[in-house]
Amino acid sequence: MLNTTTLEILFIALAIYLSHLLALRPELTRARGGKIVGFLALCVLPAAASWTGFSEQMDRSKQTQFCLSCHIMSDHGRSLYRDDLSYLPAAHFQNNRIPREVVCYTCHTTYTLYGPLQSKLEGLRHLYVQYLGTPPKPAEIKLYSPYNNRECLHCHDGSRSFEEASGHSDPDVLQQIKSNEVSCLACHDQVHDVGSLADATFWKEPQ
Amino acid sequence: MALLPMERRLRLAGWTISAGLLIQLLTLLWVHPLAFVAFLMIGTPLVAVGAAYYLYFLILGSPREPIREPMKDEVS
Repeated sequence: MLNTTTLEILFIALAIYLSHLLALRPELTRARGGKIVGFLALCVLPAAASWTGFSEQMDRSKQTQFCLSCHIMSDHGRSLYRDDLSYLPAAHFQNNRIPREVVCYTCHTTYTLYGPLQSKLEGLRHLYVQYLGTPPKPAEIKLYSPYNNRECLHCHDGSRSFEEASGHSDPDVLQQIKSNEVSCLACHDQVHDVGSLADATFWKEPQ
Repeated sequence: MALLPMERRLRLAGWTISAGLLIQLLTLLWVHPLAFVAFLMIGTPLVAVGAAYYLYFLILGSPREPIREPMKDEVS
């Protein structure tokens, strides 16, 4: 069975074939049918193929594999396997609280590509620094803006375990958390902490 | 066979579009931020420029081609 990506690649290949054919034999458009084929091959199909490819690229950019494909992020990837569930990313990843294939995007929804224009430009700057500049050490990587509670609340808000947890039971505190006045990370402050990975032990995922 | 001016433009548009689509196709074989950037900044603009070039001459028309006198052996 062909998967979606294969179908998209085949579709783009068809568009390439037809545009290539017209580049080689433009005289085919002299006939009425050729003009229609020309319009399809040089306008409709390329536009559709580009949109298909763009959609696939957007989906891929949410994948954990995409984020960790830059060497500088490999420590952040390793932190997901830390054998200490007091660390939020490890607990969420290892217990399947978030989909593993899109683990970065699930908790960083406004990062680079998916944020406003400023975030997109920052994403391009990351590429520039990675390949043409001096990349920082992984432990020095910081978020541009404070972590927004919205990223936690889009799963936890309304859940019994969250609302009734001892630290959240005070209605005022709960309100402050929900309005982002008090950061979740003020108490749950063990996140990636890649600077301490050298001393950490790691969970081995069963095969 | 000699090409008409419109066909020469069509050929150029075809090459530009197929080059752009080929780059788009190659970027789909690699999951990496650079592939995404190549798709967006090289492949897509090539396709857009090729399609716009084709549409421009299709809609606005090419400069009028000179009317060629029929040659003797073409006259029956």
